[in-house]
Amino acid sequence: MTKKLLQGNQAIALAAVKAGLNFFAGYPITPASEILHELVNQKTVKVLQMEDEIASVNAIIGSSLAGAKSMTATSGPGFSLMQESIGHAHMMEVPLVIVNVQRVGPSTGMPTFPAQGDIMQCKYGSHGDYFPIVFYPNSVAELYEFTFHAFNAAEESLSPVILLSDSYVSHLYETIEEADYPVSNRTLAPLGTSNRHFTGLTHKDSRPVTSDPGVHKKLIKHLETKQKKVSRKYNNYEYIENKYSDILLITYGALSRAVYDLKEDFAIYRPVRIFPMVDKIKNIAKKYKEIVVMEMNAGQYVNEIERLLHREVNFIPILGGKIDLNEIWTKLRRIKKKR
Amino acid sequence: MTKELTYLNYLKQDRLPHQWCPGCGNGIVLKLACQAMEKLNFLKTGTVMVSGIGCSGRSAGFFDLDSVHTAHGRALPVAEGIKLANEKLNVMVISGDGDLFGIGGNHLLHASRRNTDITIICISNAIYGMTGGQCSPTTELSSRTLTTPRGNVDTPINVQALITAHNCFYARSTTYHLNHALKCITEALQHKGLSFVEIKSQCITNDGRRRGFKNSYEMLMSYKDTYKINNNSSVLEHDEIGIIK
Repeated sequence: MTKKLLQGNQAIALAAVKAGLNFFAGYPITPASEILHELVNQKTVKVLQMEDEIASVNAIIGSSLAGAKSMTATSGPGFSLMQESIGHAHMMEVPLVIVNVQRVGPSTGMPTFPAQGDIMQCKYGSHGDYFPIVFYPNSVAELYEFTFHAFNAAEESLSPVILLSDSYVSHLYETIEEADYPVSNRTLAPLGTSNRHFTGLTHKDSRPVTSDPGVHKKLIKHLETKQKKVSRKYNNYEYIENKYSDILLITYGALSRAVYDLKEDFAIYRPVRIFPMVDKIKNIAKKYKEIVVMEMNAGQYVNEIERLLHREVNFIPILGGKIDLNEIWTKLRRIKKKR
Repeated sequence: MTKELTYLNYLKQDRLPHQWCPGCGNGIVLKLACQAMEKLNFLKTGTVMVSGIGCSGRSAGFFDLDSVHTAHGRALPVAEGIKLANEKLNVMVISGDGDLFGIGGNHLLHASRRNTDITIICISNAIYGMTGGQCSPTTELSSRTLTTPRGNVDTPINVQALITAHNCFYARSTTYHLNHALKCITEALQHKGLSFVEIKSQCITNDGRRRGFKNSYEMLMSYKDTYKINNNSSVLEHDEIGIIK
């Protein structure tokens, strides 16, 4: 294994090539553009710069169905544009990898500053019911590793898998070991070999069925069980136990890097597969009297945690892209005092 | 003795009859596409049909080929992705004017600029038929629709100018001029690079009847009276049909 100094976005691009990426379509956007820049120099990947993110995600839907392992990369604004087609890809069961390097929003926000505002968008951004697999690594090495997992999960589940990052993690330079992770092969037969009909309409056996509730229920159930089954292979989380504390901090992505500094005083839980949520947190949470969720938005994952744990949870929002440990400490002291 | 309808081999015959209204032009275009493929001996494997959303968006599902029914307006980027990922495939798009020029207009602009080797057949009926008959990007000036009760005031899109500006293949025909339309589609399929065939088609249910046509036959006859075939010009006038390479 060779050691290499890589930027987060570069690591995603290089890992994607090793995971079998054949086709990339994208639109320039800060802070995700470096992935596009890195891939245009790769001989084994066809790279298309499209007119917008809608065209990008649809081009990779086409290329993936035609047999190429396909990926696109964007940030919040572009990810919003892609939402309709992400739901469409779930319905047609197309394996894709969509990288979202988050920045401060809403709207144009603060393009160069990190945020974690797209958590809900990953899970609920498109209309209708779908069950996405979402990974959110917090280091360059993890971005490298989880790019492989994202590609594999996409092939195994036949669905678009989201790889989340943020402008902090994606722009970090860290030395990593370029390991070779196992790669799942394509199982879906490419277009031009049969007479299948891929449609976003409710369907059964390649045919649209638009007025039978039973068929729709079965289809949604099929999507749900399939996603749950595949995601079980990727129960990735990090748990730093602390026997002297009865407070558990839940954090992920860029913010978790700063929160590591508090591990002497608190226990820390960090989900990497953020959706479907890793069940393990239910058992871990039982050991602690207080749960504190910290994230770089006004409250997104905290609602999901509360819903999963069926208990009240403290919340510390970090807004504006600046992570200040003093500020976090002040708020944590207040929670300690409250008890 | 009846002649065997061999073009039907390109359709999923157990899905016929199609669900379009009596008098609709979509079925005519479906048949023309099959006949063109038959003429060129297209293999069923190796050909992919893509369509968008709307009445004409349902076309792809009737072909006995691998086909993709994309999100509204996104037939072109999907088709480009398919073609660029596997250049051996014949990639055809059948979609409507609202899908290709309205919601998907930006993709048409850029697909023609990239000149990807795909064939687009646009069933252009100047109306959003599936949603009840709203004004579309190709609705004629002063034409009455659900959303333009006092007549359309916006200029219809000049598709010919858009496609030919990027030196792509452009042909215009109608559902009345069957032989001409077949020739347009056949030549388009043989063209290397992006080819665009605009077929003027009738929607009696949600357009024609509001404009005073008694039935779709009358609409077809209006195409006969309006459109003249022009074989030797580099620009088609408003009332001409023809091919521009």
